[in-house]
Amino acid sequence: MTLVPEAYVVPLTLFSPLVFGVLAWLFDRDWIREILGVIGAAVPVTVLSLAYEKASSGTISYTIDTGVFKLHFVLNSLSWYFAFIGALVGIAMAFGLSSTSRRGYDWLFSLMSFTGVMGVFLARDFVSLFLFWELMTFGSFMMVLRRNRHESLKYFVLSVIGAYSMLLAIGMVYAKTGTLDYAMASQTLLLLTKMGGVSKAYVDTIFALFLLAFGVKAGVVPLHVWAPGAYGENDQSYTSFFSGVLSKAGVYGFIITLFVMPSLYGIYFAMGTFHGHLTGTYLIAWAGAVTVVVASFLAVLQEDIRKLLAYSSVGQVGYIILALGVFNGVAVGGAMFHVLSHAMFKGLFWLISAALILRTGKTRFEDFGGLAEKMPVTFAMALIAVLSLAGIPPMAGFASKWLIYEGAIQAHMPLVAGTIFLGSALAFAYVVRFLYAVWFGQRPSDLDDVREAPLPLLVGMTILAIPNIVFGIAPGLAVRLINRFFNTNITVNSYYSISTPTGTYNALSVTLVLIVGLAIAGLIYIYGANARKIKVTNTYQSGNPVTEEYNLVIRRNFYRPLAEALDFWLKYSWDRFYERLANLTEDFADWLREGFYNGNVQSYSWYLAIILLILAIWGVL
Amino acid sequence: MFDWRLILDAIGILIYALVVGFIFMGIERKAMARIQRRIGPPIYQPIIDTLKLLGKKESVSHGFIYNFGPVFALGVSITALLFIPIANFQLFSSNADLIVVAYLLEVPMLGIMLGAMSSGNPYSALGVQRGLLTMVAMQLPYGLAIIALVQHWGTFKLSQLVALQQLQGWSITVPALALAFIVFDIVFQALLGLEPFDIITAPAEISMGPMVEYGGKHAALLFTQHAVQLFAETAFFAVLFFGGASNLLDLFLKQLLVLFIAIFVASIYPRFTIDQAAKFFWKWPTIIGIIAVLLTV
Repeated sequence: MTLVPEAYVVPLTLFSPLVFGVLAWLFDRDWIREILGVIGAAVPVTVLSLAYEKASSGTISYTIDTGVFKLHFVLNSLSWYFAFIGALVGIAMAFGLSSTSRRGYDWLFSLMSFTGVMGVFLARDFVSLFLFWELMTFGSFMMVLRRNRHESLKYFVLSVIGAYSMLLAIGMVYAKTGTLDYAMASQTLLLLTKMGGVSKAYVDTIFALFLLAFGVKAGVVPLHVWAPGAYGENDQSYTSFFSGVLSKAGVYGFIITLFVMPSLYGIYFAMGTFHGHLTGTYLIAWAGAVTVVVASFLAVLQEDIRKLLAYSSVGQVGYIILALGVFNGVAVGGAMFHVLSHAMFKGLFWLISAALILRTGKTRFEDFGGLAEKMPVTFAMALIAVLSLAGIPPMAGFASKWLIYEGAIQAHMPLVAGTIFLGSALAFAYVVRFLYAVWFGQRPSDLDDVREAPLPLLVGMTILAIPNIVFGIAPGLAVRLINRFFNTNITVNSYYSISTPTGTYNALSVTLVLIVGLAIAGLIYIYGANARKIKVTNTYQSGNPVTEEYNLVIRRNFYRPLAEALDFWLKYSWDRFYERLANLTEDFADWLREGFYNGNVQSYSWYLAIILLILAIWGVL
Repeated sequence: MFDWRLILDAIGILIYALVVGFIFMGIERKAMARIQRRIGPPIYQPIIDTLKLLGKKESVSHGFIYNFGPVFALGVSITALLFIPIANFQLFSSNADLIVVAYLLEVPMLGIMLGAMSSGNPYSALGVQRGLLTMVAMQLPYGLAIIALVQHWGTFKLSQLVALQQLQGWSITVPALALAFIVFDIVFQALLGLEPFDIITAPAEISMGPMVEYGGKHAALLFTQHAVQLFAETAFFAVLFFGGASNLLDLFLKQLLVLFIAIFVASIYPRFTIDQAAKFFWKWPTIIGIIAVLLTV
């Protein structure tokens, strides 16, 4: 704490990315731009780690007085947790951007959204939430706009819908309570509901509007349609932040509605129960479950690396939403943990895809192949990311998913829990697709001179890979952080071992036994005769020699049988539904325009007459 | 610091599992042969096969991952085995619970696939694809069966599951869990890779799928892995539905029962195609599974 005075912690975290982003944009020269950007992204993570002690034991408040209203920011253990995850992915993104981007524009807007996210996490009242939320959305929108107009428009329309519903909800809260502070507003609201000053439908509406606003950002099906395009048509280094952290802003919004505003929490009880579950949260759990299944199925069937990762991202955030909806201590703890592990492994995945796209210039699976030899370090990182996403013990992705499993089954939500099983098998399927198509098999000849990813990108990857392993072997570390701000009912036996009321997971023992098992297997392997290395293409082909011209690798339509089994469901698409809706609206508007502005003077005079008549009847004239 | 008793137990169980696993593989071949009115190989044949493969003078390799795949698979199978309470040996089962074991039992497949994929053989790739699709198809009913079990007994700890069943009767004596048992048994067929779900290996179509490229010591490792996996999976089944076991003989009989059900089913049915399997799994086992979980809520 002595290094950074308490008063500077919050402003440094909030504004250093933006300030340095503007500087990087102004001094748009090689090296200068990158150094400025990395410094800007490094400040929050440094300041936050220094402020850890203070934030975990108390709170650090900060207020900006704009004259009209005051913006309150608080760094407590909850906001520290989210902000630190964001800052960690942020610094990795900055390293990635210094390899993949050569434009001040990218630095400006990516760091602008960095500031926006930090503001969302630290905000303590609705005005600052809304302002920084829009800053974040604007930055990310500009990043998409530069690359793809159509996709950016889709993102824009859904974000605007989200923004308006948030504004409406905030307005509704303010109209009844006269305050914008979370705590004050929620207390007043609770009081008013108890005294009957606010009707139940009114609060239900606020609740629904907030969920709509945050659901857009979290990508809950059916509001997810912007995500594949916006994540894909972007600088992939930035996407590591976009998908890893910005989607968490949506999750954080859910947490605000669920836990920070306990009056809405009271609403769940007011909304009644459904088969023993609170209706409000039960709906959220199902929204999450549907998201997991739909997005994971779609991820399996993608042919483009960016689309696959984007849908997978939507699906993984679905797990978090599902777990929040399960609404018992263990599941919510699991959700918080999954926020961490998803940010780490998905950030890592996007940086890997950034490296692949940078070095090969290709994005479709059919163009990749056999890169494991050419990019060994990136491949090792990819393996860590894959193991973590697929939830292989002892990786961080497993520990968090384990908590969600236990929570969902304990809460007696069997069908919701069943979708987690399905989702994790689908996750297995799509990561193997990624592994196979990109890294293994015969290499297309045009990829023969691909080089290893540049150093800054590798540094970024390493920053994200280490937490995947550390929090996997020591899940207690993360759970201890989570227990500070939420009573999760998860016992931390030691750094390595966590227990729920009905289950237990000792990550260290799993790791050690795994190492012993691998050692035994390795001994058997070493005992055998030496292996002679042969070419990838030198394979068993029923006695037929196969020459190099034939590429025998299945890269297109890898999961075609699944597509065939699902053909009935694949006929329906939310994306196409929205597009059709947009077209219908456009056609209707066209029809209206052509019908009214038909260039006939007589009909214009008729309009005038009708309007005059209406006004006369109304009593204006 | 070290619990020597535990370590000795683990080593003992590992050797026992290896031998019994190989015997199970032999029994599988022998029983299948007898049903088809062949004589069949002797029961210890898989051990001889494995030793022969290990003794091969030379084996070929497609690179590091190709070697790492089988090693990883065997390593994880051993890990999974050591977290299951085997008869009166608790081993490490107090450190991890049902979900962890269920996951660990699936990971070896990823190891095999990792190795298979790193060779350029299209049969391997097809095997990988089919294996993963089978897994996607079976995961929903599999999950439902496990959920029903946990909801009924209220615990994830395998040792507690055994204790509860020994007090209150085996899982299959509970009507709802009997349904879960049916589901689990159907899924088990796919877990073992036996007909009608031997879609992964399908010898007649894709020449053993992921295994096609493997020979020599790599194949020996995969055989060993299969033996350990077979033992672990049958033991897991016995723990979940037949009340575990109080001694190794008891466990052996229960494992044999489970194995013979699988063998009999396997020798009657032909193979499903992958989309048939998916549609089948998402129809009857899922419906029965949903009934089972709703009965245990």
